[in-house]
Amino acid sequence: MSQTGPFIRVTTVSAPLKGSFPLDHEGTCKLEMLNYMVCLHEKKQQNSECRSTAKDYFECRMNHGLMDKEEWQKLGYGDAKQISK
Amino acid sequence: MSLSRLWGPARSCYSFFATKSPLATLSSLQRNSNVISFQIARGFSKKPNRVVDKSADTRNYTYYVMSLVIVAIGCTFAAIPAYRIFCEQTSFGGLTQVAKDFDKIANMKKCEDRLIRVQFNSDVPSSMRWEFKPQQHEIYVHPGETALAFYTARNPTDKPIIGISSYNLTPFQAAYYFNKIQCFCFEEQILNPGEQVDLPVFFYIDPDYVNDPALEYLDSILLSYTFFEAKSGLKLPDPFDPKNRPSIAPSPDKVPEATK
Repeated sequence: MSQTGPFIRVTTVSAPLKGSFPLDHEGTCKLEMLNYMVCLHEKKQQNSECRSTAKDYFECRMNHGLMDKEEWQKLGYGDAKQISK
Repeated sequence: MSLSRLWGPARSCYSFFATKSPLATLSSLQRNSNVISFQIARGFSKKPNRVVDKSADTRNYTYYVMSLVIVAIGCTFAAIPAYRIFCEQTSFGGLTQVAKDFDKIANMKKCEDRLIRVQFNSDVPSSMRWEFKPQQHEIYVHPGETALAFYTARNPTDKPIIGISSYNLTPFQAAYYFNKIQCFCFEEQILNPGEQVDLPVFFYIDPDYVNDPALEYLDSILLSYTFFEAKSGLKLPDPFDPKNRPSIAPSPDKVPEATK
């Protein structure tokens, strides 16, 4: 198990921010998912290159009622904010 | 015992050695020796006013010790709110520093100089008959950037099975910075017979990851999901109900009949 002690941050398993994804039983967004996986495979698993395909997947989910609609900025897709450190 | 009484003989010894010439020293030695001896004797002999000194000293020492005890007790009482304030300021002891809200995600900046490899692992207990695996072995993520990953689950049986998953992250110091925006854990997911679904995980690594000195050389995180079978509508007996005690009587459908 994890270490314990006076100055060690206790990490607990926490609930996700937006809750749980509803299951895509009909496979409505399977095409977007496959596009994303192909992109990842081509770009050698780099997340930064494939964010647009991920965004398409989320759009598909939102359009078909499988995800709560959220502003893109709140999901980390506000492009003006990405300044390298 | 007061220490001041011991200075008397010491002072006289000093004055007697501090004289300039050795000859004067000798003569003064002879002159002062009886004074010295008298002072030394006085320093170590009993005197009537010593009783008063002893009780005053005892009282002083008692006050010192009592005040120390009271200060120690006060410290133990004050430590509780002090520790809480300390934890809030420095976020040690479980109060997470990372603010898990959307404004933070909207304002966070991507850190280009660190690339973290997030590896994915999947587990099912042996009694769970889903096939559950990640779609990608690993993904390279910058801290401060939201990322998407997929798992796949399939129900090969002919009965609907309900699963509920939990996750784990190693190493634990890095797990502190791993935040999930949306995933498929902690909720019951039902899979119909023969069905296959994609289970997405939407997460990000907090940009404060780069500021943690313990994580300077850590670039690999392992995210592990385990899917357990959940029986929907299962109402567990209340352990405090006196009528609800487990019995050993076998039910006919559970125990296989011995073949004759």
